[in-house]
Amino acid sequence: MNEQTMPRYSLTLGHLYPDQLNLYGDRGNILTLRRRCELRNIELRVVGLGIGDALAPDEYDMLFIGGGQDKEQAPVAQDLYEIKGIGLWAAIEDDMPVLAVCGGYQLLAHYYRPAEGPDMRGLGVFDAWTIHKGAHVARCIGNIAISWNGQTLVGFENHGGRTYLGTAKPLGKVLKGYGNNAEDHTEGAVYRNTFGTYLHGSLLPKNPHFADHLISLALYRKYGAIDGAEEAWYEQEGEKQNGSRPFEANGRSPVPDPLAPLDDTLEWEAHASMLERLGLYQAAVAALHSS
Amino acid sequence: MGKQKPPHTMKRDGRIRRQRSSAGEEQSSVDHTSVESYRYSRRRRSSLRAGLAVLGGRAAGALSRRLHLGGGTSIAGVVAQRLYPDIVGHLSKQLRYGSVLVTGTNGKTTTSGFIAAILSDAGLRVWRNREGSNLMRGVAGALVIRAQPNGSLRRSGQAISVFEVDEAVVPQFVESVHPRVVAFNNLFRDQLDRYGEVDSVAARWQKAIRMLPDNTTVVLNADDPSIAVLGDHFDGRVVYFGIDDGELHLGDGAERHQTIDTRTCPHCGTDYSYDTRFYSHLGHYFCPGCGYTRPQPSVRAVKVANEGLDRLRVGVETPEHKREIIIPLPGLYNVYNALAAIAVAQALEISWGPIATGIEQFKPVFGRGERVQADGRTLRLLLAKNPTGFNEVLRTLFSDSTPRHVLFILNDNIADGRDISWIWDVDFERLVGYTGSLTVAGTRALDLALRLKYAGVALDDMKIVMPAPLRAATRSLDAKERRKLRRSRSVKSTKRQAISTAEKEPSSEASEQLHEEGIGGRPQGYTHTSQQGRASAGEYGIAKALDAAISRTPVGETLFIVPTYTGLLEVHRQLERRGLTPHYWEEKGP
Repeated sequence: MNEQTMPRYSLTLGHLYPDQLNLYGDRGNILTLRRRCELRNIELRVVGLGIGDALAPDEYDMLFIGGGQDKEQAPVAQDLYEIKGIGLWAAIEDDMPVLAVCGGYQLLAHYYRPAEGPDMRGLGVFDAWTIHKGAHVARCIGNIAISWNGQTLVGFENHGGRTYLGTAKPLGKVLKGYGNNAEDHTEGAVYRNTFGTYLHGSLLPKNPHFADHLISLALYRKYGAIDGAEEAWYEQEGEKQNGSRPFEANGRSPVPDPLAPLDDTLEWEAHASMLERLGLYQAAVAALHSS
Repeated sequence: MGKQKPPHTMKRDGRIRRQRSSAGEEQSSVDHTSVESYRYSRRRRSSLRAGLAVLGGRAAGALSRRLHLGGGTSIAGVVAQRLYPDIVGHLSKQLRYGSVLVTGTNGKTTTSGFIAAILSDAGLRVWRNREGSNLMRGVAGALVIRAQPNGSLRRSGQAISVFEVDEAVVPQFVESVHPRVVAFNNLFRDQLDRYGEVDSVAARWQKAIRMLPDNTTVVLNADDPSIAVLGDHFDGRVVYFGIDDGELHLGDGAERHQTIDTRTCPHCGTDYSYDTRFYSHLGHYFCPGCGYTRPQPSVRAVKVANEGLDRLRVGVETPEHKREIIIPLPGLYNVYNALAAIAVAQALEISWGPIATGIEQFKPVFGRGERVQADGRTLRLLLAKNPTGFNEVLRTLFSDSTPRHVLFILNDNIADGRDISWIWDVDFERLVGYTGSLTVAGTRALDLALRLKYAGVALDDMKIVMPAPLRAATRSLDAKERRKLRRSRSVKSTKRQAISTAEKEPSSEASEQLHEEGIGGRPQGYTHTSQQGRASAGEYGIAKALDAAISRTPVGETLFIVPTYTGLLEVHRQLERRGLTPHYWEEKGP
């Protein structure tokens, strides 16, 4: 490889409400994105966006929203609607990859209707809504596997609310587990590059293909397709560095292969082992062959 | 019992009574105050039913033990409760000195162990639900196995019971038992799938506290804001304990990303600020919004000093005493456990002598710092079942730069919590570079290994022992399946001609082509899917994990075993099988 010191790409991840929505080990998602970027010499800056902070869509390449406790969710919902809403909408319409897990997912739908009390208004990014049917209806808790993009995603779900999709496309089909509402076998929702899901566990460590999908979406959005990459690189980085790293230095493009495959043996084994526990042997075999 | 301790005074029902322990007196010395005589008539009516419940429960327990299904305490409780739902209330009312309830996310067993040691050193007969079942059925079982077929407790004379109670069942417990002292130690996130969120546990506790009669004493941790506020809901006597050693402040350094489970003031919703933070949300906090501050504790640790890995020297101040005490356990969390026990003892008006001996001569309980010798190595068991507990264990082990030999066991059985997401909230980054040897086992060994990998531990530096081989790894795809897999992926990926469509799927032809062109080489150490290349191939099961971890620890050194709850049970079973520990349910009470 050429010199590893200067990252060729840099991405900025906006982590929404890291203090309020930090339940269920969502830190694992951030750690995974950071490490998978690091190993490919992509710089990933993580910026926490708390309550009251504005969201300027131009400053980020990727966004993450986790899940939180009910008590924490109300002020977050208000802030999301009143302060970050416009910026978030702009980012989403501009194809920024956004991952919203559990509570964050619910907040991106139209509303969350608790068992008691008033509805919590969401952003309406997904044409979907969530209803909590009360304490007498069991929570959806357990390991879950869904199909996504011809492969599988595995995780753990724990939600009281049931989400129903209107015209929103689901993220995947439930193979084992509850998913959105334990009724229609859908899981999550997708709008442009925004992904809402109930899967945590954390989601990304055991689903490296999904983590890489998010990273490549962000890279593609920022640096363009491979043909335009050189120009994009000059535009983004070359000017800043006054052309101090000309392409001729090593005789080839500085943008060869951003998402070089990593050694994901352990990741896929963990993935396959969960599939196996859920009785999905065929999928487990396929997963092991992904590594 | 056997011990004859000097008599001591205890206050109960407003009266002071001098008590002597003599075998003849105990049987008949169940005293009846006005309240209890009202209950007495009810008890007569229900004693037949209670007797039946006791018989049924004990028979079930004996059967379970005979069949080697376990200690049989829980099943005894289940059966007895089925036969007589209020069996706990019925039996607990016969305890002469009533009962003490200990709860909290972490430290229940150690705290109640300290309390039991103190009370028995003070000459009482202490009964506990020590077998580790801290649900109602465990409490019921602990009483039933000590009851007679006529529905009365045996030798209830000098008896006091110390019950460690699961966070979720505190209201039920309080309703049927009417404890004399209730101690709340801390509240952290734990088994979110079982308990729900931290807030719902706090709500249950508030409900429980409102049900307590005013003559109960409540012992609260002043440093845990979610515990301290419970005092607002109680009109009776409250004793606060806390740490007042400012040198233990975490600072704003590397540990700032600890998980904080209680963040906001319940009165006004403002985020707490801290003068001093010890760990997680424990410290000297105040609310900038409404001015709510940490209550001033009356039982305080004013100076905490580590003495190696095993002991703590703590300066303790109470309204009556100013003493130094040795806690024979590591970790700041054990300071809180000891302080809670001291505060409970103070509430029961126990003198300092038994407090000091009870704590200083304390033998680590089941998996909480317990020590076992095996093959020339010392094994130490340190239970860690939630992020804060795990963080504190890691902090204790890796606070100096001594390399440690560690065996982690991560299980996701119901008693552990099915959700293991919390491992991503544990600061495993702390141990990178400081492990002598590292073995990872349990039903979720791969998840933990992955967590360690992302913390920066090289795969070669850890040994992964799975519970069973991956079946999927033993066979490969046939040609038809391979085609199907490839087709389903390429259909989806044509949608986007991104830079990385090819790279993202290393098994597709496009990426192989890139390979031949020498673009984007695979990193070193890349292994193809084969049984040999598996990170987890080789040995399976806890027995093998234990063997591997022991053999990777040099003779004369210590292996630290850090398991979740059922992992601890499995290790114990293994050690028993090797004749290394007594069956814990056969331990005799004091």
